[in-house]
Amino acid sequence: MKNYQLGEFEEIVILTVGILNNAAYSVSIKDEIESRLSRSVSMGALHTALKRLEDKGYLKSYAGETTEDRAGRPKRYFEITAMGKKAMQYAKETRDGLWKAIPKTVLQVKFAN
Amino acid sequence: MESHSENGASGEVRKLSTMRKNTPPKLFLRFFRWYCHPDMQDYIEGDLMEVYAVRLRMKGKRKADLRFMLDVLVLFRPGIIRSLTTSERINPTIMFRSNFRIALRNLWKNKASTIINVFGLTAGITSCLLIALFIQQEMSFDVFQSKKKRIARVVMEYSFEGGKESNKGTFTSTKVAPVFSRTFPEVEKGIRMYNGSAILRQGDNLVNERSFMYADSSFFNTFDHEMIEGKAATALDGPFKIVLTESTAKRYFGNERALGKIIPTNDEKYSYEVTGVMRDYPQNSQIQFDFLASFSSMGENQEDTYFNANYTTYLLLKDENSIYTLQEKLHPFMEKEMKGSGASIHYYLEPFETIHLYSPYSAFVPNTSLRYLYILGGVAILIIVIVCFTYINLSTAKSIERAREVGIRKVSGAVKSQLFWQFIGESFVLCSLSVIVSFAAASLFLPSFNVLITKNLQMKDLFTPLFMLLTFGATLLVSLIAGGYPALVLSGLQPARVLKGVFKNTSSAKWLQQSLIVFQFAISVFLIIATIVIQSQLHFIRNAKLGYDRQHVLRIPIGWGMGYDKVSTIKRELKTNAQVIDISRGGNSPVNISSGYSMRTPDMPKDEVISVNANPVDEDYIKVNGLQLIAGTDFSEQDMKDVATEVWEDKKFHYILNESAAKRLGWTPEQAIGQNLHLNGPGIIVGVIKDFNFQSMRNTINPLVLFAESQGSSVLVKVKGEDMAATISFMESKWKELVPNRPFEYRFLDDDYNRMYQSEVQLGKTMNLFSSIAITLACLGLFGLSSYMVQQRMKEISIRKVLGASLWSLLRILSGNFIRLVGFAIIIASPLAYVFMKQWLNDFVYRIDISWWIFAVAGAMTVSIAVITVGIHGVRAAINNPVKSLKSE
Repeated sequence: MKNYQLGEFEEIVILTVGILNNAAYSVSIKDEIESRLSRSVSMGALHTALKRLEDKGYLKSYAGETTEDRAGRPKRYFEITAMGKKAMQYAKETRDGLWKAIPKTVLQVKFAN
Repeated sequence: MESHSENGASGEVRKLSTMRKNTPPKLFLRFFRWYCHPDMQDYIEGDLMEVYAVRLRMKGKRKADLRFMLDVLVLFRPGIIRSLTTSERINPTIMFRSNFRIALRNLWKNKASTIINVFGLTAGITSCLLIALFIQQEMSFDVFQSKKKRIARVVMEYSFEGGKESNKGTFTSTKVAPVFSRTFPEVEKGIRMYNGSAILRQGDNLVNERSFMYADSSFFNTFDHEMIEGKAATALDGPFKIVLTESTAKRYFGNERALGKIIPTNDEKYSYEVTGVMRDYPQNSQIQFDFLASFSSMGENQEDTYFNANYTTYLLLKDENSIYTLQEKLHPFMEKEMKGSGASIHYYLEPFETIHLYSPYSAFVPNTSLRYLYILGGVAILIIVIVCFTYINLSTAKSIERAREVGIRKVSGAVKSQLFWQFIGESFVLCSLSVIVSFAAASLFLPSFNVLITKNLQMKDLFTPLFMLLTFGATLLVSLIAGGYPALVLSGLQPARVLKGVFKNTSSAKWLQQSLIVFQFAISVFLIIATIVIQSQLHFIRNAKLGYDRQHVLRIPIGWGMGYDKVSTIKRELKTNAQVIDISRGGNSPVNISSGYSMRTPDMPKDEVISVNANPVDEDYIKVNGLQLIAGTDFSEQDMKDVATEVWEDKKFHYILNESAAKRLGWTPEQAIGQNLHLNGPGIIVGVIKDFNFQSMRNTINPLVLFAESQGSSVLVKVKGEDMAATISFMESKWKELVPNRPFEYRFLDDDYNRMYQSEVQLGKTMNLFSSIAITLACLGLFGLSSYMVQQRMKEISIRKVLGASLWSLLRILSGNFIRLVGFAIIIASPLAYVFMKQWLNDFVYRIDISWWIFAVAGAMTVSIAVITVGIHGVRAAINNPVKSLKSE
């Protein structure tokens, strides 16, 4: 079976791309993550992650429209590929598998806390 | 493509920024553009701008700027940074080959400017090669000596108590070497040397050998040498042993074995035994000789006094640092030694390595002052600068023609850096071509250059690895400097504008061209002024009224001790020829009287003396040399007879002072007559002569005493100078009859005099040469540039002509600007030249003033050369039929 590698931040990014559906470009992704997870995202980290995801074939991109704010530069929209979806699925399944494997008592203690 | 999009994008940014003042920090934006991968650059930059705009609205400019900087810095990470190689690897050899071919085609097409450039570069590089060769030779002096760091030369300074004057030089007595090596543990060996001459018998001929060195046997312990025959350790032990150099051995004995042979001298009592043959001493050594004879042969060894200082002493020290410790011990030691003697002597040690370039006192070959090397090096650099400027000017002027090519290349995808290197490559091709030609030219001109500077430089020294490497580096440097600006301008052209055909030379290019012209001509004017000043000082020296007559005077060396009667016979016999006017026998000729004496009058306190130059002369000296008596009388025959006795106590001395000496003693010329004076012994002053320059013009006229004496090393003959050859052959035949044990040799006083200023004459000649090269090169540049300017203004000229402009007004329009530039150059160069040359002249006590006419002449020369250069093109353009240039288009 193929090994789907997805780092923690990469997973967040690809999920956010999914959430934003057809409006996912770097600034909107950044804003979305920042508002949902209330953590700050640096431009450098985000672009590296996007590039790696694209290199792995989980995302594909296309050039979009420009706005005045962007000083004439086009936006770059991202879309999850089929392989990206599989990778997300795989990540979720492995997590779920791991969750199920945890003995109930451990969790109870944790929740009681 | 990349640079294209970059240009477009930055254009848009500029447009936006004028709409909205608030833009992110430029520096960081540029940094980002520089490092970012071209694929991602647009998007990410867009993001940065968008985020920035939002932050600007929410948080204000300062915070937005800060965050922007932070973002840019954080983006600087792998994955976003571009790879080091810009474009994909294509095989570039084809492109290089094509570029090379295009470079050659271009050079071929612009023949005029190619010839100007190649000629200029060749002339410049050849000059530099020759100068570099010279400098290299001078710097290499005695570098080969393996013990050079441990050798010191002794310099003596002496003065008499009560006298202010002190004398300093490399003269030492024979006592110094033995005493120092006994007393000081720092000294390993002392070497006494004396560069004399000897008259040797070669077959039936007498030859006066001038390169005859006397030296202690420790010479071989100290200086590097290579013996071919004989043993170095014992070769110079004992008197009348001699070591020959290889070429001298060949000269005397041909291919026979020289070892053990006897060389007789003119004196039958003495002859030298050859105890060794060594390789000729390297030319780049301060020690030069054909013969190396044992020091004891002179029979001058004494340890009684530190005076009688006629010899050079070198010391071989235990280690490199002892020179300092020894120097500290010398002064106290000498104070003790000289206590109560009425004189003081100090010794100074000079490191052997520094002598040739730094010491004011020459070794056995003339020193070269470091300043002379600096001047020459500076001239070489100035010439190269002129040549580079010419190249820059011509190629910027030509850039209009190349602009289209650049446009097409850019449209078909050439990157700025590729174009840049293409143009640099072109200048490199040109430079390399010139360097190759220069090497050929340098070897061609080397013999004449050697004559000019009286050196013996070898072309093979140019082919050392270090020198080749330097040449290659210099070639690269010159092509970068010369090609750099044009390459930048051309590769930065905007294809859209160029291809539309509205391209013109930018104002900055024009500004640069003009300032380069100013520079070139400033350099030329500077060199011309320097040359004129040097030449007029030389002229002044040559024609100065020195106070004596050196025309048609021959100097013939004779033995110091040749008897008075014998010399009188010679004088009488030579005078039988009607051409011979007068003859005198004496010590030095008036060209250079350097011998040091001390004098005192009976009124002066005991032990107090005045140091003075003095010269033994006979009763005809003043007549022969045209000296002027202003009081008293000349020496009489009786005065001569009074000193011609063998017994010292019976001698009666008579003196003639010069004005300065009389003044120094506190007398007017008239008062001095009849006074008593003590020089060699007590005597009477009989006359006073007018001051004359008996030393170099660098020195003031010192006190001088002429004393009647029946000894002296030369005979001075004043002749009419009508049939010189016959007169000389007459004297030679008489000489052979009368003085069979000495060869007949003569020199003209004039030549002796000129030899004193050899280094100045050399400087004058070299400056002549290189300043004419410089001005030629500068004009060549102007010639090329003006031809382009005129070509560009052809239509304008034609229209002016059609409208009725005269030839003169056209010429004025065309050359006016250039003349203004040259004028500007003159204004810049003149004060600089004034300051520099003033300093040079300060070496001379007797010197010319730098008057305004020198600047006027230099300026007029430069302006007229410039006018002629520009005018050639101007006239051609102005008499051209205007229809020809107007009918097209």
